[in-house]
Amino acid sequence: MTKPKLALNWTASCGGCEIAVLEIKEKILDVANIFDIVFWPCVMDFKYSDLEKFKSKEIDLCLFNGAIRTSEHEHLAKLLREKSKVLVAYGACACEGGIPGLANQFDKESIFQRVYVEIPSNQNKDKKFPQENNDMPEGKVQIPAFYDTVKSLKQIVPVEYFIPGCPPLEKTTWKALETVVKGELPPVGSYLGAGDKTVCEECPRKKEEKKIKRFYRSHLKLPEPEKCLLEQGIICAGPATRSGCEGACLKANLPCWGCYGPAQGVVDVGAKFMSALASVIDSDDEKEINKILEGIVDPIGTFYRFGLAGSILRRRKISQEKKG
Amino acid sequence: MNQKGFEPKIIGFLCTWCSYTGADMAGTSRMKYPSNIVIVRVMCSGRIDPTFVLKAFQDGADGVLIAGCHPGDCHYINGNMKTMRRYPLMVKLLEGFGIEKERIRLEWVSAAEGEKFSTVVKDFTAKVKKIGPLNWSVQAGVSKEASSPGLKEARL
Amino acid sequence: MSDLKNNTHKIGVYVCDCGSNIAGMVDVPEVVKFASTLPNVAIAREHKYMCSDPGQDTIKKDIKELGLTRVVVSSCSPLMHEPTFRNAVQDAGLNQYLFQMANIREQCSWVTEDRIKATEKAKKLVAAAVERVILHEPLKLKEVAVNPNVLVVGGGIAGIEAALQIANSGKKVYLVEKSPSIGGHMAQLDKTFPTLDCSACILTPKMVQVGRHPNIELMSYSEVTDVSGFVGNFKVKVKKKSKFVEQEKCKACGDCEKECPVERDDEYEMKMKKRKAIYRYFPQAVPNTFLIDKTERPPCKITCPIEQDASGYTALIAQKKYQQAIDLVRKKNPLPIVCSRVCYHPCETACRRGDLDEPISICHLKRFLVDWEMEKPEERYKKPEIKNEREEKVAIIGSGPAGLACAYDLRLLGYQPTIFEELDVVGGMLHTGIPEYRLPKKLLKKEIDRMKDLGIKIKTNTKIGKNFTLGNLKKQGFDAVFIATGAHKGLKMKIPGEELAGVFDGVEFLREVSLGKKMEVGKRVAVIGGGNTAVDVARTVWRLGADEVNIVYRRTIKEMPAAAHEIEETQKEGIKITYLTAPLEIIQKNGKVSGIKCIKMKLGEPDSSGRRRPVPVEGSEHEIKSDMVIAAVSQAPDLSFMDPSLQLKVSKWETLETDPLTMVTNQEGVFAGGDLVTGPATVVEALACGKRAAISIDRYLNNLPLDSKPIIEAGLGRKSKDDIPKIDVKEKYKDKPRKPRMQIPGLSIKERAGNFKEVELSIPEKLALEEASRCLQCGPCVECFECVRVCEAKAVNHSLADQTVELDVGAVVIATGFDTYDPVLAPQYGYKKYDNVLTSMEFERLSHAGGVTGGRILLKNGKEPESVAILHCIGSRDENANEYCSRVCCMYSLKFAHLVKEKTPAKVYELYIDMRSFGKGYEEFYKRLMHEGVLFVRGKGAEITDVVENEEEKGKLIVKCEDTLLGFVRRIPVDMVILSTGLQPQKDVAEVTRLFTIQRSRDGFFLEKHPKLAPVATATDGVFLAGACQGPKDIPDSVAQGAGAAANVIAMIDKGVVSIEPIVSYIDPEKCAGCKLCLTLCPYNAIEFNQEKKVSQVQEALCKGCGTCVASCPSGVPIQYGFRDEQILAEIEGALESETLAVNK
Repeated sequence: MTKPKLALNWTASCGGCEIAVLEIKEKILDVANIFDIVFWPCVMDFKYSDLEKFKSKEIDLCLFNGAIRTSEHEHLAKLLREKSKVLVAYGACACEGGIPGLANQFDKESIFQRVYVEIPSNQNKDKKFPQENNDMPEGKVQIPAFYDTVKSLKQIVPVEYFIPGCPPLEKTTWKALETVVKGELPPVGSYLGAGDKTVCEECPRKKEEKKIKRFYRSHLKLPEPEKCLLEQGIICAGPATRSGCEGACLKANLPCWGCYGPAQGVVDVGAKFMSALASVIDSDDEKEINKILEGIVDPIGTFYRFGLAGSILRRRKISQEKKG
Repeated sequence: MNQKGFEPKIIGFLCTWCSYTGADMAGTSRMKYPSNIVIVRVMCSGRIDPTFVLKAFQDGADGVLIAGCHPGDCHYINGNMKTMRRYPLMVKLLEGFGIEKERIRLEWVSAAEGEKFSTVVKDFTAKVKKIGPLNWSVQAGVSKEASSPGLKEARL
Repeated sequence: MSDLKNNTHKIGVYVCDCGSNIAGMVDVPEVVKFASTLPNVAIAREHKYMCSDPGQDTIKKDIKELGLTRVVVSSCSPLMHEPTFRNAVQDAGLNQYLFQMANIREQCSWVTEDRIKATEKAKKLVAAAVERVILHEPLKLKEVAVNPNVLVVGGGIAGIEAALQIANSGKKVYLVEKSPSIGGHMAQLDKTFPTLDCSACILTPKMVQVGRHPNIELMSYSEVTDVSGFVGNFKVKVKKKSKFVEQEKCKACGDCEKECPVERDDEYEMKMKKRKAIYRYFPQAVPNTFLIDKTERPPCKITCPIEQDASGYTALIAQKKYQQAIDLVRKKNPLPIVCSRVCYHPCETACRRGDLDEPISICHLKRFLVDWEMEKPEERYKKPEIKNEREEKVAIIGSGPAGLACAYDLRLLGYQPTIFEELDVVGGMLHTGIPEYRLPKKLLKKEIDRMKDLGIKIKTNTKIGKNFTLGNLKKQGFDAVFIATGAHKGLKMKIPGEELAGVFDGVEFLREVSLGKKMEVGKRVAVIGGGNTAVDVARTVWRLGADEVNIVYRRTIKEMPAAAHEIEETQKEGIKITYLTAPLEIIQKNGKVSGIKCIKMKLGEPDSSGRRRPVPVEGSEHEIKSDMVIAAVSQAPDLSFMDPSLQLKVSKWETLETDPLTMVTNQEGVFAGGDLVTGPATVVEALACGKRAAISIDRYLNNLPLDSKPIIEAGLGRKSKDDIPKIDVKEKYKDKPRKPRMQIPGLSIKERAGNFKEVELSIPEKLALEEASRCLQCGPCVECFECVRVCEAKAVNHSLADQTVELDVGAVVIATGFDTYDPVLAPQYGYKKYDNVLTSMEFERLSHAGGVTGGRILLKNGKEPESVAILHCIGSRDENANEYCSRVCCMYSLKFAHLVKEKTPAKVYELYIDMRSFGKGYEEFYKRLMHEGVLFVRGKGAEITDVVENEEEKGKLIVKCEDTLLGFVRRIPVDMVILSTGLQPQKDVAEVTRLFTIQRSRDGFFLEKHPKLAPVATATDGVFLAGACQGPKDIPDSVAQGAGAAANVIAMIDKGVVSIEPIVSYIDPEKCAGCKLCLTLCPYNAIEFNQEKKVSQVQEALCKGCGTCVASCPSGVPIQYGFRDEQILAEIEGALESETLAVNK
């Protein structure tokens, strides 16, 4: 029988997920044996045209990492959806928009302004920005359109499964591949390699009732190793984050960043996380409450570190004045 | 950017014991106020999940009013204190999203303060009108399509 | 839930016209049309009155015939008719929670002006309800058992009625009343309108019933302090304030009242009469017992180290009960003669009269008493009797005040104390330290002889360590030891030249003088120090004939430790005090003192003692010429006696260490006190030590554990300012005439020179009486214990304490009544300015047979009025006071008019805005009064003045008003004005609101659940209202409401269970990660942590369904039934996207 076909792709991501795939170490050889790897731009040279040649749903499994930021990403997403039987959002960026999603606090214009003009190391006196259509000696050259808004994969195309994490754990990746090979497919929308509870379940620290008189960002305080970080005032996303990472950061005496995304059933991770933190503030005095809240310097960055694109409001309002 | 004839959509989250009763009181005493507000009743202002507020803005609300018992008078002892703690952070967060803080408001309205309720609504509606429409899905440049529709099951 | 959403539903939407209430503003057919376009809506109908039976039947019919799965009624507020429709739904076999209401009346038609807008809003509300109801799920009402006990708060007529009705139905009732008796305002009324039957006659029987009822536990003079739990099971804490009279023993004979010296305004009599500090609220009071008013406790007593009953004997003196007075003094004070001369009287410093003008001269009143006693000792001095003799022997070392006090108290307890004294004179410092001119030795001897006479053995010339040791005292058969050897060692100045001849030590010097040694004094004597010793030395030296005496002190007069009046006397005697000067060295000329080298000081930072530390001024050295220097800087105990084998613990100040209250040393059976322990202190403080030790020794000898409690109970604890109840004396006693304290007769300066005659002379009786009568009696109880003396039933007990009881009840009736408007707030009516302007309650008491005039209506001058004006609506129907009508004033004003007419020939004017005489027999009564010739003037009284404009107005009060019928301003001259003051909420209404988590309406009265349909219920299940606490009411209405509330309660209890909305929270153990964040958030601690499952769990019984935990959980695990996130989110969506929803179909 023919080997099942496997595609891996990256879009707006740091590449960490690609490395995460290789985290399965020597097993990668088994993968090569079991699967027919038909598309993996990060590792081998493929042309999009090769991809287009496939029949619809000819590819059995596609691990798609990275958020959707440009027209190219969108095109690839739609293409791979069309060609794949099972499309998996692989890693935080594909699942929730991830770190690239934080760019939704800005728009194309301001990002370009920053990246191509303001950055000190830039030499761009006459303020040139990348253009979609460029006249070159060789003729017209097109580059992908840069969107105002970063989206998660499922906001573009339907997705079967999600593998959360920044990056996902090695064993998760392997498990995902196994499932497909064995053909035991869980219900659509399942999160593979993730728990039903939150990180607190996997966090080894001692938890008591919480009352917070002051918030600390992680660099402001050396945490006691045994005690729940939140009880120490250190902002930890653990209680608001899907489990499955085995509390890796907490074991390293760092607070949870929330890379596994919202707990299941949560509509908006930021709203829940924020509500929880505020509710346990240890004061009923308006002034004092505001004082304590000064400890939360960057609400969006704190509550939507990985989930902004996937959240209810998705992005910051695009100032109409600028748009004219 | 005041728009002519713009009628803001306003959602009011009211606790049942003080503020909702207060709003009823405004009714029984026939105190008129703008029809822009639609009231959603919860048992205690402490039940008001910030998700509701975000959802309201996403679904096209131009303003959100939160009202509960006066501090100390909460029917559930101190549920309203949780609201008092969440509110400033909520405002901070919304400003992060570029939503003007004038679009959200917290008021303590007792069961007897029908008059206060109607004045608050009048005032709030006027203020929101002044800032103009939020019209989130358009202004935020995101259409609100439901995620991954259609998929029922996966097949190999 | 999501699967629920996907199911298709058959929803019935019913839009109510509510007559024209909704249809008048909302285009109902349009809304119905819209509704029918909404997804899942199977049928939409309009109905005139949905709440009517036909209305409900259509719902039932549709559910059965169309198989509806969800129902939406859009009509009035759910707070109004939700139960009605739920029942309808339930009756039709559909779960009642598959129903949602859209409030298009209170929150739409009634508050909107524009028909189109109102209709649009109605659509939104309907859409919201439809979207929500899709996600509803079947729920079961929660049922909990009801505790059959009931709490009734407030013992006015409404509370009484409620209590009786409930009690008669066989339920246990706790009736809590703030004042000492039930009866409320009705008990103060004279007659009642319109029937004119006497209030007491109809009320008293009911009060008595309450008092006697086996099912009613009456708690008068009590207050609810805490309420927890919920309908069916409340927990209530009640504080029962002490009455200091044991109810069951008190026969209400009133003997105590006759003896009580204290008078206070009688609140029951509207302060028109006086009552005593021990009093009965009113003659028919229930419970019919007396109580003592101790609200402000006398500071003079509290601050005294031995709690001498200062205010007590002062009051007794004022009544010329000198014998009782001196007996009272002797009860606690073993050395009254000494104290009356030398006490530093902290009582006077604390005296509240001091805040007004000058403190009572308490100490000299004692002096008056002891002098009075000494006139006829044989009959006036009562030798205390020793009840039961005991053989235990106690050794007391040192015969100073501490030793004597300890010996005295032990002796009275029957023990055999022996005092060992080093010198051959007895009294310690009293003898050797305090000069003759302050405390004549013969007086001291008198006290000591009386002690000996009691059987106290005193061994003089026996020095511990020399003639015996502590060690062998036990062998000599002493069972306990009390050491009080004082502080007789003068401290050195530690400056050069101290050893010179002509330099003396102060204590030593005084001792020598007092022991009769002839002391040569120099011409110019310098005394170093600022304490009492320094002053005593100086005055002694002056008497011994020094030309010039100069006290040299480092600080200023403010910091001087010596008693103020002593310093005063010193200066009178021409003794110089050089402040801010410190000695550096004593200068000599050929071996004899010639002067002191001194340096000027200035005050720096405060030191540990709180006094500003003196610091030397550079280069200010100078010399003070003197040929004799006496150092009186300070004293310390002489510990040379101490037997090392005993190893008594010594502090770093060279004093003996003991427990501060039990006075026990680190050695079993060895106690100590006085200056030896405290360092140099005062006589009365030494007495306190001795008395404490006596109590401890008694316990020790009875093999009881040593304990500070009995010592504190005996009033011998350490005192602090905070023990004194704070009051604004200037405000409270502003009417009290000012009067300076008495001047103490004393020897002129001439008479004092060269002798040691006592300076202060006895106080003449007249003077003492005047001084004693200055006492404010601020206690108010002065604790003279006359009530205890005369009470045959032995019911009075001044040490009864408050107690707090906890009650379990299923329901609460609040009947806290009303307060009356205070017309002082409306100065134009001259209340309190003009004698004959009365409030309605004052008139009630005036006209009451038991009142101040025995029921005769008289002016302050005792004459009958020739004309009386009754002004309506004082504090009612008035934007500046209360906007509402108080409902009862018109009628009681008519009653007043009748009473005046009946009892006097006076003309009566009624000044009214409108006459409101609705109610059974009221209008008829109004008619009757017109026939009785009362003059009705339509127009509110505007002002009362005594500025007359013509003859006929002379000596009258003029009522100005606009007669709105005749249309001009009138001046009506009258003798008496009655202000018909309105009703307003009680002062503590806010606290009660909080305690029971109920609400108040705009007028400040408690808010009923529904103004028409639920007038006695509140929004809080299980808490009901009765009487005027819900709004102004007359007696019949209050009684009716009382009975109504009772019926509600009885129905609830007899049902046995109450059903509670099942809108509780639930935490799925499969999802909870156990972060414990929710635990602190639940107001009712309903969330507990399951240790082995490591998850939070909601205890349903405790959860009241606020949903705070749901909104706060970071992982969205908890749900609130009936208020799930999905349901509310759907409601929001529906409200905001109604249009799109509609077209989508």
